Amino acid sequence: MAALILEISTRGLHRYQPIESETTTVGRALDNDIILSDPTVAPHHLKIIRYGDDSVEIVNLSDVNPARINNQKLESLVTATLPVNLEIGRVRAQLLPRDFAVAPARPVAGSGGRGHLFGHAFWTVALVLACLVLGGLDFYLNAYNTFKWADLFKYVLRETVLTIGIFVLALSILERLLVNRWEIRQLVTTISLVYLLYYFLSNLAEVLDYLFSASWPSTQFRLGWYLTIIPCAIALYLINISHLKKGRSFLLAILIASPIAVPSILQSPELRALMDDFSSSARYQNSLSWTNLHLRDRVGIDTFVEQARRLEPGEFAD
Amino acid sequence: MLFRFLAAFLLLANVSPAPAAALDSKKIYQLNEDRVFQIRVLNRETGKKSSIGSGFIVGDGSQIATNYHVIGQVILEPDVFYISYIGKDGREGELKLLGLDVAHDLALLGANQPVGEAIRMSPLPPRGAPIFAMGNPLDLGLSIAVGTNGGILNQTDDSRILFSGSLNPGMSGGPTFNDQGEVIGINVATARNDISFIVPSRFLTDLIERAAAGDLNEAGDLKLEVARQVLAYENSYIDQLLANDWPDLNLRQFRLPGIISPTVRCWDNSAKLSAIARYKRYQIRCTNKNHVYLDEDNKFVGKLVYEYFWLESDELNPIQFYNLYQNLNKDQIESKMDRDIVSNFNCDTWFIEVSGQELKSNLCRREYVEYEGMSDVLFTAALTGYRDRGFFITLTMTGVDYASTLPLIQKFLEHSEWLP
Repeated sequence: MAALILEISTRGLHRYQPIESETTTVGRALDNDIILSDPTVAPHHLKIIRYGDDSVEIVNLSDVNPARINNQKLESLVTATLPVNLEIGRVRAQLLPRDFAVAPARPVAGSGGRGHLFGHAFWTVALVLACLVLGGLDFYLNAYNTFKWADLFKYVLRETVLTIGIFVLALSILERLLVNRWEIRQLVTTISLVYLLYYFLSNLAEVLDYLFSASWPSTQFRLGWYLTIIPCAIALYLINISHLKKGRSFLLAILIASPIAVPSILQSPELRALMDDFSSSARYQNSLSWTNLHLRDRVGIDTFVEQARRLEPGEFAD
Repeated sequence: MLFRFLAAFLLLANVSPAPAAALDSKKIYQLNEDRVFQIRVLNRETGKKSSIGSGFIVGDGSQIATNYHVIGQVILEPDVFYISYIGKDGREGELKLLGLDVAHDLALLGANQPVGEAIRMSPLPPRGAPIFAMGNPLDLGLSIAVGTNGGILNQTDDSRILFSGSLNPGMSGGPTFNDQGEVIGINVATARNDISFIVPSRFLTDLIERAAAGDLNEAGDLKLEVARQVLAYENSYIDQLLANDWPDLNLRQFRLPGIISPTVRCWDNSAKLSAIARYKRYQIRCTNKNHVYLDEDNKFVGKLVYEYFWLESDELNPIQFYNLYQNLNKDQIESKMDRDIVSNFNCDTWFIEVSGQELKSNLCRREYVEYEGMSDVLFTAALTGYRDRGFFITLTMTGVDYASTLPLIQKFLEHSEWLP
């Protein structure tokens, strides 16, 4: 059997210890060949014995948290088949052959050069500036009173800077815990992109509401946003920038998106209307648009009254 | 000589009899204290009062008149509650329902045997005449309140007399007397500060006649009867509105229906804008006053509200203007009701051409759980196609037959004219 490697995984990080001597001991005591500092690891937890190049024996030495070998509680295992999965206390490890095949290298996000969105601080700054401009534009378009620059700054600070800042802070801490890295620039770029996307899509949904004289565009947008777009954006970030595995990324994306999605869904009038089977308010199509683009035909008063006669009674809630 | 003088005196006496001496409140109280009762709605299980009011003897002496709202709970839950009376002298007994006039908030009850002499009824005395309201305020015992007749109120569809005196909870259903000790009306409501309302006695006379004809099916579902009466009243009311000539009311570029009935009052409801506002808004809100008490849960129905709203700005750009316009276009029916009482609203949208203009209109209806055929209706219509001006009408009606509201909405739209 060729030289062996013990891969030890801790909080997403791996370290690799060559197993070269005939007998290698693993434990928390300082006289071990491989020292694991986790408190759930016994002073002398495991022994690995090599039998030439043919096979290897793994022997459990601990009564407390006995080592699990290939997901089984075994006192010892002699095997010629690698890899062998090990659980030593709560430390996970794998016994691998030195020639074990590894996945090809993943490109660093933005390694495509300046033109790549995640490749250069220029784009981060540009996108943040775009968000600030959009925040200001949103304030301007909803300012019905005399315009005041001080109010604009307050609004942009509260609505744009604070929103982006809180998400960057929360997600960067999460990322640090998950992959032991700070990738602030990439995170700011991603969150700014999501912010811009939200603004454009929510406005598009309102235009469609008026066009179809219906509420489903807004409702579908909000539902899709919180239940699909946000989790997918997080998952894509974790896969492509944090380089986590796909399955784990989607699971984490759902977990990370839930605290954002659940309160937002509960607070959104459109989605509450979708979930509640009763409302004492009339949910009518009140959107108005200066473009006045709508697909419904204009009708005369008589036609309206004739059609209104056929308006079904309201449904009783359970 | 003496004979001729006496004959002349008697003749004169026959031609113009001297008016009976006016009674004071003390005398009226003494004459009627045994004929006015406390009316109680009692829980069959606990035997305790759930609500109280007042009532008085009418008809054949075994009948007692009160307000519908005093005993309304029995109609909602007849298996849980029953009605009883108790007199000042401690006499008490159970009462059954003989007749209802929900629209005028009256109920006629019957005892098992005569409980006393019926009080005579009389038309309304002149405006300003003293009148006296008897009842059991706040369960504190029988009392009498002195006030004056303020006349019939046409804003209540002639169904209320203004009583410038103090009515208090518990006096509802009690009699209001003229200074001859005759009943001119039935206590019904108060707006505090010595502004109270009385139902004219003529509605009670009609109810007694109808009850004698046996028009109430007590064994049937009384809620159906309540719904039938409310809808009959509201249909008749809407027919009156449609038959009226509607005066005009101008709001900027629209000529609109003004005060469409004596029951309606319109107020300027324009919000006070700050000096820095870059737009102008004008609002007129019209409401009727002849609401009908339905029950403890629903309170009043028969509310008609129509509102006109105009918005304009020379300074806002079209996107700003429409953001504001859309935010304001969200009127609702004011009453918040639970799923046990009403259905969800069902709404649909139309773009209606009115006087050459296009109005984005929404019509919504919801139904009452307990009262078949009764609906609340909300209609809104917002002007489209202008970048610097907006206008909407909101028309709401509660406790009505849905179909009967459509001609009213139609007349509203047909009566609305764009002023170029």
